[in-house]
Amino acid sequence: MSAALMRNGVVVDDSFAEAFPMKATRIVITAHDLGWARHAAVAATGFATSVIACGCEAGIERELGPDETPDGRPGLSVLVFSMSGKELAKQIERRVGQCVLTCPTTAVFAGIAEGEAVALGRNLRFFGDGWQTSKVIGGVRYWRVPVMDGEFVAQETTAVVKGVGGGNLLLLARDLDAALAAAVAAVAAMKRLPNVIMPFPGGVVRSGSKVGSKYATLGASTNDAFCPSLYGLVGRSELTAETRCVLEIVIDGLTEADVAAAMRVGMEAGIAIGAPRGLLRISAGNYGGKLGPFHFHLHKLLERGGS
Amino acid sequence: MNGWRLELRQAPALRVDLRGVTLTALAALSSAQVGQLRVGHGNTTVPLAEFFRVGPGPDDTLHFAGDLARFDRVGWQMSAGRIVVDGSAGHYAGGCMSGGELRIGADAGLLAACEMSGGSLRIGGDVGDFAAGTLPGSMDGMRGGTLVVAGRAGARLGDRMRRGSVVVFGDAGDFVASRMVAGTIAIGGTAGAHVGYGMRRGSVVLASSAPEPPSTFVPAIAPANVFWQLLARDLARHGGVFADLPARRIERHLGDLSAGGKGELVLVS
Repeated sequence: MSAALMRNGVVVDDSFAEAFPMKATRIVITAHDLGWARHAAVAATGFATSVIACGCEAGIERELGPDETPDGRPGLSVLVFSMSGKELAKQIERRVGQCVLTCPTTAVFAGIAEGEAVALGRNLRFFGDGWQTSKVIGGVRYWRVPVMDGEFVAQETTAVVKGVGGGNLLLLARDLDAALAAAVAAVAAMKRLPNVIMPFPGGVVRSGSKVGSKYATLGASTNDAFCPSLYGLVGRSELTAETRCVLEIVIDGLTEADVAAAMRVGMEAGIAIGAPRGLLRISAGNYGGKLGPFHFHLHKLLERGGS
Repeated sequence: MNGWRLELRQAPALRVDLRGVTLTALAALSSAQVGQLRVGHGNTTVPLAEFFRVGPGPDDTLHFAGDLARFDRVGWQMSAGRIVVDGSAGHYAGGCMSGGELRIGADAGLLAACEMSGGSLRIGGDVGDFAAGTLPGSMDGMRGGTLVVAGRAGARLGDRMRRGSVVVFGDAGDFVASRMVAGTIAIGGTAGAHVGYGMRRGSVVLASSAPEPPSTFVPAIAPANVFWQLLARDLARHGGVFADLPARRIERHLGDLSAGGKGELVLVS
């Protein structure tokens, strides 16, 4: 660790977040009203916090007004990230099939036009048991599947693009209240940006992990260097006696620039909280540059506005 | 790709077959070579220069100046580029075209856009029978692309049509969408008798008339608002009678039950 930067009493480490390439897509879920669209989107993005065990990382990107959706109804855009296009396609099919097709009044569309096409409604159409019909409108194929509230309309495919996963910030605070306040403020600021999601509950992670474990079967385990409960017990704690709570925010984005922008506004929101209200330090998780090719240096983000 | 202007000298005595006269085919030719291109005239072939004064065009367009009502197969099998006809065109205009743009200023004859699979064909006037249909003896009609007719369409519009979109601003003759397999036909005016006769799938939108549906169609009781908004918004870009479709209510009838019943007549109120 070299020279740190001090802003509003908050120490910003001379460190970097290490991110890795993922496959990503955006889907648009519309419904009769925003409430039903949200029911479907929340269900479809449930249990999608980490690719470690969920198969994908997913979240609601933003609300869409009727003038922003293909069918003129309110909706939500959802971003889904996975480690491979094949796994992403599997997750999309399962999640849309079980959570969107099933939800009253919903329809689903691709939210990205350019990229490798993967099935959205292409296979779900068989739920129609032969009564499904396709419709090509404006060069785009949709499937109309009869269901008990009318028909479920799904665009045939969505596009998969390269994304960036694993951008992160570590917020080190005086106590739990201060850490939560800083994390909530940072997530709120990040959510105002397009093309990113924070896939963990409320956008925040308390179980930051390190690579490896004393147990051979585990690929990851608790990040003991940042656990205040292990201060004084582990050999190389990153904490001080004043730092009693650490929370992490993980960011997935469609591009490196999107992740960088989210990290920057997240740091700025934390700095606005500042040391007087208990945020003591901002750091980031990395693995010495061995995990991924995207390195987001905190000082560069703050000083130059880029990664 | 260079542009060409072909100015009609006078109307030919017999019908002329213009197959092979596309922008792609003329791309590598000189003006003299274009003039020597042989086209069918009755039961013989004659040089193109017999009928047209050939010259370069200002842009990447094959521009026919004059009335080509006796010239068949304008844009036949064209796959790219742009062809413009100032006046009318004969039969088979845009037949089997797979790409590019063909614009006909006035009327087109029989079998326009037959077995068309891509691109755009716009007809400024009326079109004859069997537009967007099949070639005689063939199983599938239009299978892609867009046909827009500013005037009226003849009988059997979209016969055996399988895919693509047909938009007619005026009236259409009898048997619209007969034996239709899939695709979309939108009629701005009135349609003749037996709409959707034997249609298997596909959508026929009647934007301003609501005829009594055939007895082999049943009323749809379920809403299809999402589908309608997607389709209506796409049709609305054509303007005119279609411009306000997204704001209008529809009534659907499903059929033809004699052919599976997965097609629909969409009556706009």
